Amino acid sequence: MSATASATMILAVMVAAFVAAKLLKVSTELALFAAALAGALAGGQGVAPRHLVEGAFTYFDIVLIFVTATLFMNLFKESGAAAFVVRAILRRFHRRKAPLFVLLALLLLVPGALTGAGSVTVLIMGGMAATVLRTMAIPGPRVAAIVFIIAGLSAAAPPVNLWAMLTAAGVNMPYVGFFLPLLVPCVVLALATIFILGAGAKPVDLAKALAELPEAPAGMNWLRVATPFLVFFLLVIAGRVFPFNLPVLGLPLMFAAAGAAALAVSPAKIAFFRVSRETVHQLLPLIGTLTCAGVLVQVMALTGVRGLIAITTVTLPVTAVFLTLFLTLPVSEAVLMWGAAPVLGVPLVLLFNTIGLDPVVALAGMSVIWPLGDAVPPTAIIGRLTAATVGMAEPYGKLLKASLVPAAIIAAAGTLMVVFSKKLALLTVF
Amino acid sequence: MIRKAAIAGLGAVLAVLAGASFHRGRHLAEPLVAGPGVARVATLGDYFAPLKGGVNDAHVYILEGQAPGGTVLLLGGTHPEEPAGRLAAWIFAERAELGQGRLLVVPTANRSASTVTRLGGAYPPDFTVPTAWGGQKFRMGDRWSNPLDQWPDPEVYLHYPSRQQLAYVDIRNLNRAFPGRPGGTLTERTCYAIMELVRREKVDIAIDFHEAELQYPVISAIVAHERGADLAAAASMFTSSFEGFSIGVENSPKALRGLSHREIGDASGAISLLLEAPEPFLDATRGRTDRALLLTGRDEFVVRAGRRGLLFEKIDENGWPIDVRVGRHTSTVLQILENWTADRPDRGVVVAGVPRYAEVVEKGVGAFLTDPKTAPPGRLFRE
Repeated sequence: MSATASATMILAVMVAAFVAAKLLKVSTELALFAAALAGALAGGQGVAPRHLVEGAFTYFDIVLIFVTATLFMNLFKESGAAAFVVRAILRRFHRRKAPLFVLLALLLLVPGALTGAGSVTVLIMGGMAATVLRTMAIPGPRVAAIVFIIAGLSAAAPPVNLWAMLTAAGVNMPYVGFFLPLLVPCVVLALATIFILGAGAKPVDLAKALAELPEAPAGMNWLRVATPFLVFFLLVIAGRVFPFNLPVLGLPLMFAAAGAAALAVSPAKIAFFRVSRETVHQLLPLIGTLTCAGVLVQVMALTGVRGLIAITTVTLPVTAVFLTLFLTLPVSEAVLMWGAAPVLGVPLVLLFNTIGLDPVVALAGMSVIWPLGDAVPPTAIIGRLTAATVGMAEPYGKLLKASLVPAAIIAAAGTLMVVFSKKLALLTVF
Repeated sequence: MIRKAAIAGLGAVLAVLAGASFHRGRHLAEPLVAGPGVARVATLGDYFAPLKGGVNDAHVYILEGQAPGGTVLLLGGTHPEEPAGRLAAWIFAERAELGQGRLLVVPTANRSASTVTRLGGAYPPDFTVPTAWGGQKFRMGDRWSNPLDQWPDPEVYLHYPSRQQLAYVDIRNLNRAFPGRPGGTLTERTCYAIMELVRREKVDIAIDFHEAELQYPVISAIVAHERGADLAAAASMFTSSFEGFSIGVENSPKALRGLSHREIGDASGAISLLLEAPEPFLDATRGRTDRALLLTGRDEFVVRAGRRGLLFEKIDENGWPIDVRVGRHTSTVLQILENWTADRPDRGVVVAGVPRYAEVVEKGVGAFLTDPKTAPPGRLFRE
């Protein structure tokens, strides 16, 4: 049997196992594991314990970043700092819609940018942002769409972009030069989203909004708000300014230090073990997905399926690839979540690199499109989480409908970034 | 509860089985029989004491000729996932006899990287080279030092001393950490030890063995520091004329830091060269990842990529067998030494006993490995 026929058959078995697991209402992460196990068996490798376990550690460092960054953000929220910031912004700008929209968009971008997870944005800032937006008479589905779309963009925003990190790792490309190619589109598209979906909003009913928002604890102030971020950025800057005089800390320890600072300066007592337990509970499905995506990628490499997908992708007509990015990326995200990056992202970047595009900008463009798939079944994790967190009463389909216009703009912007990546390479300065 | 316990139990079984495999891979002892030319065996720790007794206290096989001459360093295993380099170094350590000068051979420059395989890459833990006595097993290895020996990685890696920003993971890449620093990471300290070896032994030429995926533009080439450009050009010309294969020359870029061909030359009086051979096993479009692909270099998908003009080296159904890749390295080194000796007879290094490309391809690499059971007392080492 030729390598193509063999890998195609194994791929078919893996897809069948994944679909069967989903039909049996198995979670996405376990469905990925089932697909990997079926692939190993179909490939004649047996259960392949070495490969299952080794694959499970593929994204171990990223999982640690994910956990510590989310713990930091949860401690920050628990200290009342997030509520303090939203209430302060509201008091200052409740009569001025434009600056209020800008500040809300930026606030929504921060948690996901630091953690790489849109779900963290939804959980930390989503509820409070939605409270403010609802008092401006914006319909529920539009409020949910604003939170969902910007949460997705926050996950794509630097410094932590898991799609770009996973893909870059797969092609031996440094995760360097991504800051501006990710920051510029994410900020611009987040602002476009809130202004488009917030068109027609009325001025904030301040009293009502403040009554609905959580109270900030007495003693909270801007210094306490800023201290954990200062600790984090000081550690990052110190590592860059004195790299040969300081030990290597790594991002997980830096986020842990920022979390410790949030705990230390909080005016309210924080039940640390409860928050840490809740954080791990909150992240388990996502950690499971990353872990099982690693297992899947390892088995795909082992059996030749990864090579089949890669060679098929890199030999496709380039125009067809460009024109279908708006579909293939969200759909792959909907099925595989971050597993889409090593499976589809790696061959696409190889293709773009081969035809002379700038791989950093092209990957940044793809990264902006990927999160749109988080509202699409079968997973739709972030979309459904958003609907629940902002308390949307309407059917879930209304969120999808409200998201269509900004999603189309994001897909177009991401695709144009890929096509014109070489001209945008000037953004890859750091 | 029963379901959770069953899943935990299955997980534990998987962990134990996989753990046993990882342990075997990390501790697989590879025999190397010091050949007739080996006068003594040192370790990197002899040149930089803090490495002594640690995972990267690699063997340095010192081969000496009767007549005085120059000194040449051969580095294998800078990237252990490129096994032709290690095997070529093995052959020099086991077979070479020196008429003039000295040869320093380090078959496993980054021993830590040889004890781990690529996460997500599905590498086999080891591979066996067929021999007359049945076969000799080698660790597969990875490109980067084992995270068990050096972790965590920074958010961005700043190369010493240039401060050039590199991928965070490359802080564990021996060929991005030259010239190293004494107080640095394990990888940087290993590079520093190699630099101390180069300086103290007054090395004239340092040659670093590598392999590359066919999608990588620098392939089938001698990458040369500017002081070695003429030597590389001459070796390339003679190799292409007389050895039965072609090898190009690439200039070591001044702007790309941390690589042996740049930093060894800049930080010492040695000429630094790096040899690249084609290894389809490393290509991202490769099919089934297994020992056969590693040893034969035959892959249907990589051939398809070649037909679409996506590669920088040709490939057909015959692939790139390990014998071809190792033979390219041995012949290229011999050509470099012969050209160097012709130019600098006072610093010459004259080597005999090492097979050239045609002989390696004809007889196979295994024909030039020594059966460890026949090793004289005190001549058997474990890499």
